[in-house]
Amino acid sequence: MYYRTIRNDILKNKAISLTTIIFVAAAAMLVSLAAILVVNLTGAIDTLMTRAKTPHFMQMHSGEIDMPNLSAFVAENEYIDEFQVLEFLNIDGVQIDFQENSLADSVQDNGFSIQSEKFDYLLDLNGNIITVSDGELYVPLCYMQDGTTKVGDKVRVSGKNFVVAGFLRDSQMNSLLASSKRFLVSENDYKELKELGSVEYLIEFRLKDLSTLNAFGTAYTTAGLEANGPTITYPLFKTINALSDGMMIAVILLVSILVVAIAFLCIRFTLLAKIEDDYREIGVMKAIGLRVSDIKKIYLSKYAVIAVGGCVLGFLLSFVFRDKLLENIRLFMGESENNSIAFVFGMISVLFVFLTIIFYVNSVLNRFRKISPAEAIRFGVSQEKNTGGKRFYLSNNRLLNTNIFLGIKDVLGRKKLYATTFAVLVILVFIIIVPQNLYNTISSKDFVSYMGIGQCDMRIDIQQTDNISGKTAEISQVLTNDSLISKFVVLTTKTFKVNMDDGSEESIKIELGDHSIFPVKYSAGRAPVTKDEIALSGMNAEALGKKVGDIIKLMIEGKEQALTVCGIYSDVTNGGKTAKAVFTDDSADTMWSIINSELVDKSLIEPTTKQYADRFDFAKVSGIDAYVIQTYGATISSIGKASYAAIAVALVIAILITVLFMKLLVAKDRYSIAVMKAFGFTSYEIKSQYVSRSVFVLLVAIILGTILANTLGAVVAGAVISSFGASSFEFVINPFLSYVIFPLMMVITVLIATIIGTLDVERIKISENIKE
Amino acid sequence: MNKIITCENIVKSFGEGDEKHNVLDGVSVEINEGEFVSVMGPSGSGKSTLMYTLSGMDHVDAGSVNFDGKDLSTLNENELADLRRIKMGFIFQQPTLLKNLNLLDNIILPLLNKNREKSPEIKERARTLMKRADITELEERNISQASGGQLQRVGICRALMNNPKIIFGDEPTGALNSKSSNEIMNLLLEIHRSGTTIMLVTHDIKVAAKTERVLFMIDGKIVGEHLAGAYDESRDDLKAREDRLIELLAEMKF
Ligand SMILES: Nc1ncnc2c1ncn2[C@@H]1O[C@H](COP(=O)(O)OP(=O)(O)OP(=O)(O)O)[C@@H](O)[C@H]1O
Ligand SMILES: [Mg+2]
Repeated sequence: MYYRTIRNDILKNKAISLTTIIFVAAAAMLVSLAAILVVNLTGAIDTLMTRAKTPHFMQMHSGEIDMPNLSAFVAENEYIDEFQVLEFLNIDGVQIDFQENSLADSVQDNGFSIQSEKFDYLLDLNGNIITVSDGELYVPLCYMQDGTTKVGDKVRVSGKNFVVAGFLRDSQMNSLLASSKRFLVSENDYKELKELGSVEYLIEFRLKDLSTLNAFGTAYTTAGLEANGPTITYPLFKTINALSDGMMIAVILLVSILVVAIAFLCIRFTLLAKIEDDYREIGVMKAIGLRVSDIKKIYLSKYAVIAVGGCVLGFLLSFVFRDKLLENIRLFMGESENNSIAFVFGMISVLFVFLTIIFYVNSVLNRFRKISPAEAIRFGVSQEKNTGGKRFYLSNNRLLNTNIFLGIKDVLGRKKLYATTFAVLVILVFIIIVPQNLYNTISSKDFVSYMGIGQCDMRIDIQQTDNISGKTAEISQVLTNDSLISKFVVLTTKTFKVNMDDGSEESIKIELGDHSIFPVKYSAGRAPVTKDEIALSGMNAEALGKKVGDIIKLMIEGKEQALTVCGIYSDVTNGGKTAKAVFTDDSADTMWSIINSELVDKSLIEPTTKQYADRFDFAKVSGIDAYVIQTYGATISSIGKASYAAIAVALVIAILITVLFMKLLVAKDRYSIAVMKAFGFTSYEIKSQYVSRSVFVLLVAIILGTILANTLGAVVAGAVISSFGASSFEFVINPFLSYVIFPLMMVITVLIATIIGTLDVERIKISENIKE
Repeated sequence: MNKIITCENIVKSFGEGDEKHNVLDGVSVEINEGEFVSVMGPSGSGKSTLMYTLSGMDHVDAGSVNFDGKDLSTLNENELADLRRIKMGFIFQQPTLLKNLNLLDNIILPLLNKNREKSPEIKERARTLMKRADITELEERNISQASGGQLQRVGICRALMNNPKIIFGDEPTGALNSKSSNEIMNLLLEIHRSGTTIMLVTHDIKVAAKTERVLFMIDGKIVGEHLAGAYDESRDDLKAREDRLIELLAEMKF
């Protein structure tokens, strides 16, 4: 019934209808993509972890392994379904020489394994369990992605020749965030290599029932079994696998929320303008007895058409981009079995977007109720209350140029009209500043200290070797005499028993030494200073149920001692469960040591690192920068790229929105423009009124946007940063960029857009527009 | 006598191709300085269009308009705007006031545009004019808080602010009842007597009868004029002037 009116209306406002459809389509596309990705990602992870039979509980252990003891535990434990011990042969990256690259600089713990027999399989890219022949080498996927090597390449590992036969998916260690990488070789080759590296054990369990995981974990710990290394459980494997793609999905969702908001703002503006245009007609319709719901239907149906058009378009578009975005997931996890479910979920999410729009339009249309027929017919325009412009009279203005004054007065007088653009601009300022601040924060040198890593120049790890304390002392001696080193600290990690309040026992790893030299950031409290203080990592504090000021009972040198929790810090190293203290206990075994040092001359970090690496081949020596770049580099650089993309997108949207808004405004104000022209205002002067309107709105938006970015934005960014494992942080803001360059860029963009958007002012003829 | 406006053979057309028609079809008019002229004619005859072209708000397709010694076709948009701002004043049928300014601000707006530093004097002048138009108490009100007649008087005050050489009025009393219409006309007469040239478009015989010269327009052409001479209340001849006009209009079959 409304077909003709709707068609005419849409055709009459082509530009605006089109823009609205585009934004709706973009929103629908993004939401649908996010839904499809979530379904596929979870599906693919499940498929991968099912096929690979990922262990439910894994204890890494370096050092001797007491097999009979372990077997006895397994025999008695009722939870266990399957059990195995795999070997992971650590080989220094220097020894792994690909045709074109070597892994000398790799911070990953690269190790060699054979295909396991029972579970925790290494899969090929088709998801099948790999059988490997002598002389063949299967390489972790990440080295294919970063271009280190390709199939058919020759590799020398500790002098032995291999050919890259393919790449492998490792359900445990796929992610770059997992610090170890497994290479697969045949049993014969493994035997030969075994002499050349140090073995670490992966003690793995599959349980009959995953829900018994916690109980099993406690049982394992209390049994006092091998525990020299991190413990990882099935849910954690899942999280690690999901993290990087999960972040992409989170970004897509965030952007889609913004786009939905902009679509809403477009709709709101056109709708309000339309209502104002039709004010008299609406009044007449009410006067002749049409119900509000009937009048609403006319308007609603137009937006229903636009929303359907946009949503269908968006849904179709999501199929175009789907494969591109799924590429990474498919590569690392393989196909998901949820494809058809993904389709359904995509559809449901698009439907959700559609309903939200209709609901929104409907709520805006509720304004009809407020229209008084008498007033509408008499004045033809809504008698907006001029709330802000009061006492802001031209006759009292001595300060501002008349046109600037009129511009500002108009904004204050018609706040509701400008609220739309204002809100969009605030959002845009937000999406320019927050990713940039986030990028600044995580790329700042300081950032490692939020992740439990002291801010030093060079880090030496001494582990998986015998006589750790002797070797540590040897290196310390050299460091003391090295004039290039300005300061260093030895931190030794040992295991201690904690007596819990409920009488049970837990074991924790405590890093002993002076923690004030290269401090980490504490989310609460401070570093331990006296012998009776201890600082806990966030995860440990949670696991032990302790907060700052609480007492913790430790078994030190065979005696129970009470230590006060003095601080809590976030940590991503060693599975996140660490502690720091300054007491000494020579009776406990050293699990590993690290030596953090600072150089006098920062430019020498690389050669010095190399020199120490060559001299102490039993230790792992890395520059902190290299460490950070390799662990987080990819993420940091993609956040960097994303932040620049955000700026570009924001500026484009700013142009689009401003031009659109100005065009609408000029069309709406054509009568006033004609009047002013009749009384001798030039087009230039009238345009300058519009420029001052949009610049005024923009400036307020920049102020609010910046404030929001530094408060709310910090919370959002905090969520992202916490996914790195850092729980508390402060924004590192580049004031020149955030407070000078970006606002300036926005102002210039909006200025240009306003000038383009108000070109129509010149074309408005007095004679045609002055008669009402 | 000095001519403030001379136009010769102006043609103005709208539409394209078959639709095209001349709304002004070779109009020549001269208006003397200090004159009070009115234009009468049936609806659609081109009266408003004539006024827009004479004031430079619209361009002519042929012919020339000379305003105060300047050929309007040689002026660019900005120079035309300046001319309107300095030398002309306009009153329209509907009070064309800006919604978001109060009445005083509406009056001073055109003048303030370029003379902000003189704001106190401008305000003073506006108050004087408002007093003359008997709307002193409306200063701070909004458009929605005044009657049609009051708004029209605000419009007249605005038109007078720059002390224009000529005032154009397109049916300034068209939307008013006869009482308000009368008051507006008296105000205009008073302004005219102080030396301002006025050109009015009107349908109202009562209004036209008070002007010095009446031009008749039909289908884009001036088809005649009536020289009534200056109106003087003391002579008490308004009824006679009106009757004469009615006669003439009947002759022209309006
Ligand atoms: N912008 C325009 N486009 C097309 N035709 C127009 C335009 N403006 C005016 N016209 C036509 O020109 C003719 C004269 O219009 P104009 O407004 O000058 O008449 P008028 O004599 O003032 O009539 P009225 O007494 O009703 O105000 C009319 O037929 C009108 O339809
Ligand atoms: Mg007219």
